[in-house]
Amino acid sequence: MVELERSAKAATLAPETLPKPERIVQQFRDKRILERLTEGYKGWRPIAGGLATGSGFAFGTEYAHHNLAGGYMEFRAAAQLSTRLWQKYGATLSFPHTFGRRLISGINLTHRNYNSLDYYGPGMFSTRGGRTNYRLEDTTLQGIAVARPEKRLRAGAMLGYVWTNVGPGKRGGISSTEQVYTESQAPGLHRQADFFRYGMLAQYDRRDNPLGPKTGGNYVIQWVRYQDQTRSLYSFNRYDIDFQEYIGFFNNLRRLAFRARGTFTDPAGNAVIPFYMRPTVGGSDDLRGYRQYRFNDSNALVLNAEYRWEIFSGMDGALFYDAGKVMRRGGHLALSQMKGAAGFGLRANTRNQTFLRFDVGFSREGFMIWFKFNDAFSSQRFGTGAFQPLY
Amino acid sequence: MRVRIGILIAALAAIPVAGQKFYPDDPLLKEPAPRRIGEMPVRELSDVYDLFVHSLATPGELQPRTGPKIRARGTNTLGDPMEGAWWERRHYWNPLTHEQLQRGPGGTRPPSMDGKWTITGPKSSGVTPGFRIKDSTGTTYYLKFDPVDYPELSSASDQISGKIFHALGYHVPDNYVIEFPASILELSPDARIREANGQRRRMTHDDVNDALRRAARNQAGLYRGTASRNLPGALIGEYRYHGTRSDDVNDTVPHEHRRDLRGMRLAAAWIDHDDSRAINTVDVVIEENGLRYVRHYQMDFGSTLGSASYKPNSPRSGGEYLFDWRNAFLQFITLGALVPEWARASYPDIPSIGRFESERFRPEKWVPEYPNPAFMNALPDDDFWIAKQIMALSDDDLKAIVDSARFSDPGASVYMTECLIRRRDKIGRYAFSRVLPLDRFEVSGGRLIWQDLSAQYGFGGAGPVKVEWFDFNNLTGAATPLQANEGAWLPQPGGPYLLAQFTQRNTPSRTISVYLRRTASKVEVVGVEHQW
Repeated sequence: MVELERSAKAATLAPETLPKPERIVQQFRDKRILERLTEGYKGWRPIAGGLATGSGFAFGTEYAHHNLAGGYMEFRAAAQLSTRLWQKYGATLSFPHTFGRRLISGINLTHRNYNSLDYYGPGMFSTRGGRTNYRLEDTTLQGIAVARPEKRLRAGAMLGYVWTNVGPGKRGGISSTEQVYTESQAPGLHRQADFFRYGMLAQYDRRDNPLGPKTGGNYVIQWVRYQDQTRSLYSFNRYDIDFQEYIGFFNNLRRLAFRARGTFTDPAGNAVIPFYMRPTVGGSDDLRGYRQYRFNDSNALVLNAEYRWEIFSGMDGALFYDAGKVMRRGGHLALSQMKGAAGFGLRANTRNQTFLRFDVGFSREGFMIWFKFNDAFSSQRFGTGAFQPLY
Repeated sequence: MRVRIGILIAALAAIPVAGQKFYPDDPLLKEPAPRRIGEMPVRELSDVYDLFVHSLATPGELQPRTGPKIRARGTNTLGDPMEGAWWERRHYWNPLTHEQLQRGPGGTRPPSMDGKWTITGPKSSGVTPGFRIKDSTGTTYYLKFDPVDYPELSSASDQISGKIFHALGYHVPDNYVIEFPASILELSPDARIREANGQRRRMTHDDVNDALRRAARNQAGLYRGTASRNLPGALIGEYRYHGTRSDDVNDTVPHEHRRDLRGMRLAAAWIDHDDSRAINTVDVVIEENGLRYVRHYQMDFGSTLGSASYKPNSPRSGGEYLFDWRNAFLQFITLGALVPEWARASYPDIPSIGRFESERFRPEKWVPEYPNPAFMNALPDDDFWIAKQIMALSDDDLKAIVDSARFSDPGASVYMTECLIRRRDKIGRYAFSRVLPLDRFEVSGGRLIWQDLSAQYGFGGAGPVKVEWFDFNNLTGAATPLQANEGAWLPQPGGPYLLAQFTQRNTPSRTISVYLRRTASKVEVVGVEHQW
């Protein structure tokens, strides 16, 4: 029987080939097309995203050299443009391997030109109909050094200079900010300022996986001093806290995620804080039923709670409730005046890292749909400068 | 009684007969010598394509939803695969000593510690860091290291599971647990590395240090991992769990119908080999004694037991496919309120064990990461075939195998052994309850004797069994009852072939047909067929 089968097979022997779709997938892998796109060619690679929310789809190119000074120094330079013509240019020289990776330091130079950032006026009583937009153009030069004395703990300091310029917004159908708001309602609208900036930060990160946390916590505090170098009208201290806690159960296939984020400012003497440097609430990472930057004032507090569950290995579901407020004075922490938003979401992930997030948030102002390429609460907010949506 | 015999005769007579059932050389314990193959190019499969195709529309000829099931092929008349390119009769038939179990397919040629290990390149595949080296004897090995946060996890899993699969008869590579100082490594000036973007460049000491930085070290500062000895032939790519390789003349049975691959489902369940897919197999062109043929290997067991190679296994492992329409829909609409049984498992806090347990393990529900057509086709007799081999590994055998993993924590060794024992017993209990669990049929002293495996392992036994005898016509397939005979004694009258029909009295659908051939010098068992 075996020999009969072999004889039959011998008569039909043919070269082993892959089905066409598999061949295409295999060639894609063999030619390392994905790697070439992500890792780049001779240091050059395309990049996407990375501008503030509201920019539209952003794309650009980056040049990176990882092996300067025997591998101890890295250089990156990037230029990006979004579909709304927002622009961002930057260059970073970093030293990631100092003292066995226990000290990360670098110098960064960034220029941003965001032509239509939203502003609704100050305070919690601003209205949705008060939406305006303005141009924010700034250049930042800063140095930062972050030490990691042990695996979970980071402490760092930064020092830099910021040149800012605010102008009329370009988005059609929405008034430009200066047409609606006065200097008292939008400090810094008509008087440009430059800042000497320095500060310190500390982070204790005990999350199991920062790119898709299931258990643990992340606790960050930061202080930054903005010293107005032009008229001393706008000098202030800014204090940020961001506490996150993740509680997994059923082998972390179900999770509760909590976050408390606060930004508090302390103007020096009679100084005021430029409206574009004030903390905001609303958007894809905090109050998801409201538009991005919906509420703006000198201080902000956001509380988030999420229940997450695994639908299948590549996708999680989420139910969330967000609450947030902005305050003229930092002591007005009463929870009663908070705006609330509830919603649901889906998170696509691979290797336990969220690469696409879809959230729908509902509030008294309607609903908002968000597509983001990061995990909720994970956007980089610490270490001042170019990484933040604003400041 | 007469009515039942009549029904049985009618059923047997209804079996279509294509020719004689048994040939003089039956049962064939070994495959006939393979035909010489020609040049066979390397054909690598795409793991991504494999994942999507199997998840969305599993290929191969699957069991029909209704009607007769497709029985396993590639077996001899006793129901066992023939020894050869896919599988060999091992522990169940010829018990291996503890030393042999620990050695596996080789066990005597670890990389020599007398001299340097020359790094000739990086490990080309997989998620764990590693190197390709030549030891001072010039033998090539592939080194891969344990993850820093989970020392011993991957190497112990690889060692234990590889040895188990070897005892079960599969071809596996000759792997060793190694502990070595960084000073034994030297970098060949010819070593090349391929960067992520595909560009090749000379391998540097930074590359070596980068890999070592991600490798676990023991308390003595030695790096620990697995050394896999180069397989004895040219590697031509993976085999699929369906279809055949079109350029291999000896590969004639669709893989989804091979008993050794169908049966492997429960073996994989035992060691939680959820990564049992094409990418963890390899075909090797063997040249020996003037023959040139393909041998089929199972490999890369670093992602078994509680390990996912570089981290503990997912709790989902074995419980559910990575993607399953029905379960995903249920989870979506219930907002996760429906908690699967596997999600409730609890695991020990032992880094070298990872996520491996026996309490929630259900062999009948176990699945790999995505549908495997051979596993999906497994029938009760396929399960029985592997389960009898699994049960043949005694508690002490398993302890010996686990010892070969060289856990530094005695608690890990004890936990692993106990876990394997409990999972083994669950498999035995399950598989032996689906067929009439009798085996090892032979003739002795004029009687047909056998073993009740369910009774032997303390699972309650098969219960009362009726044995009826028939004279069997090997040419026509007709079975004529020998009514005077019932029981174990061989009937005296009759032709050269006898049929003993075993029926479980409590579940009459479970039967075993045992065929015997009488010659002048002996009576031997030539065929065994299960029905259920």
